[in-house]
Amino acid sequence: MQVYLPIAELSVNLFFLVGIGGAVGFLSGLFGVGGGFLLTPLLIFSGVPTSVAVASVTGQVVAASTSGALSHYRRGGVDLHLAMYLVLSGILGAFGGVAAFSILRQIGQLDLVIALGFLILLGFVGIVMLQEAVRAILKQRQGIVVRERMPHQHSWIHGLPWRVRFKKSRLYISVLPVLAIGLFIGFVGSLLGIGGGFIMVPALVYLLRVPGNVVIGTSLAQVVAMMAATTVLHAVQSQSVDILLAFCLMVGGTAGAQFGAAAGKHLRGEQLRGLLALLVLAVAIRFGLSLVLTPGDVFSMAVTGPGR
Amino acid sequence: MTRLCALLALLLAFVLPVQAERLISTLSNDTIEITSSFDGERMTFFGNIAPAAGSEKRYVEGPFHVIVVILGPTQDRVARRMTHNFGVWLNTEQVTFSKFPSYFHVLSSDRLREITDVTTLTSNFILPESHAMVPNQAGWWETMVFGREIIRLMTEEGLFGVQENGVNFLSDTFYSAQLTLPANAPPGPYIAQTYVFKDGEIIARKSEGFAVRKIGFERFLAQSATQYPLLYGLACVVLALFTGWLGGMIFRR
Repeated sequence: MQVYLPIAELSVNLFFLVGIGGAVGFLSGLFGVGGGFLLTPLLIFSGVPTSVAVASVTGQVVAASTSGALSHYRRGGVDLHLAMYLVLSGILGAFGGVAAFSILRQIGQLDLVIALGFLILLGFVGIVMLQEAVRAILKQRQGIVVRERMPHQHSWIHGLPWRVRFKKSRLYISVLPVLAIGLFIGFVGSLLGIGGGFIMVPALVYLLRVPGNVVIGTSLAQVVAMMAATTVLHAVQSQSVDILLAFCLMVGGTAGAQFGAAAGKHLRGEQLRGLLALLVLAVAIRFGLSLVLTPGDVFSMAVTGPGR
Repeated sequence: MTRLCALLALLLAFVLPVQAERLISTLSNDTIEITSSFDGERMTFFGNIAPAAGSEKRYVEGPFHVIVVILGPTQDRVARRMTHNFGVWLNTEQVTFSKFPSYFHVLSSDRLREITDVTTLTSNFILPESHAMVPNQAGWWETMVFGREIIRLMTEEGLFGVQENGVNFLSDTFYSAQLTLPANAPPGPYIAQTYVFKDGEIIARKSEGFAVRKIGFERFLAQSATQYPLLYGLACVVLALFTGWLGGMIFRR
């Protein structure tokens, strides 16, 4: 069944949209990530204009993260104080990201920057995650008990000024790294159409030493608030949010996520992280190849100027 | 049918006797509506070549050739070329074609080169290439190179095309032409120009307009996205929050 997307101005098979929404939702439920980093590339590779794909996936990420954020909130796994700092700086970053998005689209380098951004970000995160997961699996094989990181270990980050007490996370740290993380994720997330959970969680754990029981919830709450703001910004600035496209993806995504979460219980943490790392790397490599390999067609065209 | 007759009568009344022949023509639909299941639409152009009003002649003498040119709304379009720099493929060169048609199809009753000469074809903008050949500040060489490529790209997307057997003569003077407007036809005002040729000369021409537009829910969405972007964005967010919440509720055990 074909459905006409009013903003993308093309007609796509409905089952295809709900299907990729569901498949990515399954993976996102399995690994506990938003899934934007998979969905945006999938849409781009299947012919949706880059700008519409990025802006619409932003809306989908909000839906995908809402149910998770709510259930973590009910269990008391959200540090609202910390999330507030992250969201405020994140929205500031999103302003920058959306503005950069518009400029890049105008000068014709949007596709390039998005491909480069995915390559660098996913490549880096994927390699780090894979290393860590492999090390954990090997250690477990050798029978070494992996020790949890000490929550009160100090690093140079803890020496910065403007310290604030975050009660729920039992942290007394400077707000500067918190704001920097929020700003960066806001910028990158709005530019690439990803929630940034897979950068946020490691950043909170390794840089700020946020305890494990509030990391996921806080990250999810931050993603919901920041991506909601980004969706509005994209709708106002580039007018390329396709609500119908986003809705089809949301329906598939929220359903798929529940099955993914159920399936995730049967796999161990390190294995999950290893698999996720491979997936992330695969997407990074796909983008890298598109930059390096000779394109099938060196010419491309786009509509510019007033009107469509 | 009555509307069609009225239209025909109106057309008859307005045709000016410039030459011995005149063209009476119409098209099957004057609006193409884009609905949620829009998957392209077929339309028919038909007409008759008749003696001019007030002329002594009772019949016309052929053979005639008919070319129908369908022109979509214009937009500014840019063609870009990637080059290999520092091991990476980048968009480096570009040429902007302003007021470039977003849709262009030519239907003819014979091969274009059999019908008339290239000058007539280009000066009347019947050939696709003629749209890319308008003066451009990028310089003539770039305009030619990028112009050829943009027409190729448009053709690959099904937005440009030439069908040299697109017009069928049902009698010596009555023709009909069929066009399938693709699903990605851009919405906006369209013009169908019909040229009648005899011995390589244009002896009659006529243009008719029709519109491709979104209706109903699609129209509402597209309009609110451009006219009330803030509300539209907020609506997206509310929809997303609701869907996410509902999904969590349904599947919670």
